[in-house]
Amino acid sequence: MTGRAVETSRKVHVTQGEHHVSDDPSVVATTVLGSCVAACLHDPVAGLGGMNHFLLPDDGGRDDAGAIRYGAYAMEVLINSLLKKGASRQRLQAKVFGGARMFDGLSDVGATNAVFIRRFLDDEGIPLVSESLGGQAARRVEFWPASGRARVRTTTTAPAGRPARPAPEPAGDVELF
Amino acid sequence: MPAASAIKTLVVDDQLTMRALIRNGLQQLGFTQIEEAVDGEDALRRLIQNPVHLVLSDFNMPKLDGLSLLRALRSHGPTRQVAFIMLTGRADNELVQRAAQFGVNNYLVKPFTVTTLKGKIEQVFGALT
Repeated sequence: MTGRAVETSRKVHVTQGEHHVSDDPSVVATTVLGSCVAACLHDPVAGLGGMNHFLLPDDGGRDDAGAIRYGAYAMEVLINSLLKKGASRQRLQAKVFGGARMFDGLSDVGATNAVFIRRFLDDEGIPLVSESLGGQAARRVEFWPASGRARVRTTTTAPAGRPARPAPEPAGDVELF
Repeated sequence: MPAASAIKTLVVDDQLTMRALIRNGLQQLGFTQIEEAVDGEDALRRLIQNPVHLVLSDFNMPKLDGLSLLRALRSHGPTRQVAFIMLTGRADNELVQRAAQFGVNNYLVKPFTVTTLKGKIEQVFGALT
């Protein structure tokens, strides 16, 4: 992407519970993730894509079906929005981010989110072309829905209640083509 | 009071994850005769060959959506009376009204719990045993 394209890009921030779908090459969907997961789906032929941002409810594992229900619904909303704009389900590709362990505690909701999204994509036959999941660092994600390009920047912030130590993945920009 | 095990059910959704969740919920309620279809067209083909008592159908699906499936079933003699519960999203109030015009029996807003699923089915069939 050229410097001019960056200057004219229109940022759309996607917060928890939201999603955004676009075929506008100037649109970049952005979000910040801790334990949450953002799924970025892209149809390379139709030239459109979309990002969501969700967190599965955490009840310490007592109701896994409840968590899956919520996640499946979040994914369905994004997929249906893409299909309405002309995407083909068979062409969808996924890049997924987030699912970090941000706090020490009995349950690791970030891991639950990561396991869910990998399983969902596998079950639904949507290829996972790249991912940045897990670890202990928050992530800032940029996704260009029209091209499918994604960029993730991890922070070096240690989880609360734990002494600072290096994050499991290097901080900084990682270009995920 | 119908026995859940006596109610033949077809679950129609293009997402395998959602079909598996609904099947799991139905099994918890005692349902044993559960078939699945991946879209409205698939559902219509199965229902004409093998009638059921209850259809639980998503709305947004490729080929034939839930509303078109409902219309087709209501206009075809042998399937005219089948109980039809629509699965919908929060923002689909208009859809629910349209489905009511075509004779939908009830609707379920995703994501729903097994308790809600039971309540909606019981509103159509009476208390399940």
